[in-house]
Amino acid sequence: MTESPPRRRVPIEPGFFTIPDDPAEPPRLLGSRCRACGEHFFPRREVCARCLARGCDDVLLGPRGALHTWTWVHVPFFGRKSADGGAGYGVGQVDLPEGPRIQAVLSGAQRDFAIGMPMALELETVRETPEGDAVVIHRFRPSV
Amino acid sequence: MKLENVAVLGVGQVRFGVHRAKSALELARDAGLLALADAGLDLRGVGEAFVGYIQPAPMVGIKAMKELGLTGLPVTHVENASATGLVAFREAAHAVASGRAPVALALGFDKMSEMARGGQGGRGIGRDSIDSVILPAAYFALWAMRRMHERGTKPEHFAKIAAKNWNHGALCPVADRQADHRVTPEEVLASAKIAEPLTAMMACPADDGAACAILATPEWVRKLHPGRPLVRVLASALQTETYTPGHTFVGPVVGPSTMSRDTANEAYRDAGLGPEDVDLALCHDAFANEELEYYELLGFCPEGEGEKLLEAGETALGGRIPFNTDGGLIARGHPGGPTGLAMVHEVVHQLRGEAGDRQVEGARTALAHLVGGGSVCTVNLFEGVS
Repeated sequence: MTESPPRRRVPIEPGFFTIPDDPAEPPRLLGSRCRACGEHFFPRREVCARCLARGCDDVLLGPRGALHTWTWVHVPFFGRKSADGGAGYGVGQVDLPEGPRIQAVLSGAQRDFAIGMPMALELETVRETPEGDAVVIHRFRPSV
Repeated sequence: MKLENVAVLGVGQVRFGVHRAKSALELARDAGLLALADAGLDLRGVGEAFVGYIQPAPMVGIKAMKELGLTGLPVTHVENASATGLVAFREAAHAVASGRAPVALALGFDKMSEMARGGQGGRGIGRDSIDSVILPAAYFALWAMRRMHERGTKPEHFAKIAAKNWNHGALCPVADRQADHRVTPEEVLASAKIAEPLTAMMACPADDGAACAILATPEWVRKLHPGRPLVRVLASALQTETYTPGHTFVGPVVGPSTMSRDTANEAYRDAGLGPEDVDLALCHDAFANEELEYYELLGFCPEGEGEKLLEAGETALGGRIPFNTDGGLIARGHPGGPTGLAMVHEVVHQLRGEAGDRQVEGARTALAHLVGGGSVCTVNLFEGVS
């Protein structure tokens, strides 16, 4: 009996997060830091939105933050027929210590979330490509 | 800038709803013909047109205008998401104010029911992109949940706003939702949940529709309609976001709330008015919790006192500042491109004293507000002069 090769993970859209080779390692968000004023941004940008200086350095943001607000969505996820089998899914805004506020899908049950709680970034498989690759997106989960 | 020299010559609106039997161009034509009839003109009398639609097909605006005639007039397409109709209106107002066109037309149309079903491939819908995975309802729900956390707002408050707008809509002949009974907050709360704490009856429908407004100098309007109350456009402000730390760039559906406050302040300053002068207001109530926020952001009560204003019934017909007298996005409907022009349609009927059972007694000044894509806001002020 042969073991099936590990599925390759591909981003839902390139340029937003890292996909570590080791699935146990958390992903990071691809952000920018203004060389002039130090403001952080997600996603990456060339012109600083705060001081309008040109030139930002690429930085990795996360993988931890605090839950600013959240909701539980009862209607289907885009591109899916049901909301995780009808149970729904969480969506939230997470404040990173670097500054940016990130909107993302949350993993966990409705009873798991509370404003202000610590959150950690992870990757979720949205679907499979015809080639068998896993299409992934970043999401946050409550971190203990 | 203060608009000194612009008035509404005519308005027209097709009732919003799902129009399977009519194409977007036919809906646009019907709204355009209604507005031209109200104005007492045909297309030869129009100097310039601005056409607003959200659907992605190119040149559709020009095609829609051809349904009204081919007179060589300049036509420009305007798109600013949900704010599209009022932004097309703003361009028409400035075309008249600048003297470039003595008569200018703003036409909006869309078939959101097809976009929602994926038929026209609305931008970001059903596609693989970082922006598209979260529904608009979720973004507005995030705002509602944060307010509940900060202010102790209850889902019952949002339900009361939605029920009010459903009941206003039942009095408006061009509203999509015309309930055959008085809608209660309990009924709104018991409807299907979309995203906590929002229910289906707190959300706008995905509509089809078209609406049109024709603007001209006050002299021209008086000449064509000497007996009719004149509806002047006093201000039309448009702003985008200003950066504040923590700004959310991905999935911009709600945007910073300061944008509505700043845009309203600009419009009030331009018009030389304050919120205390306004007799009725129409706002972007795609979801009921937004209306509560706009009570405060548009200056009708101090921050944190929206619930009090609502509980006192001041924002219902008969109250001090009735909001969304035609049912708002929730009941009149929200097809996208024409939504802002439906607001102008309602404002004009109110200020002419032609709003029937939903008439705001003695209405003289009206405000119309929309946000679009969380990234733009427009606030417009009107005055009726008998």
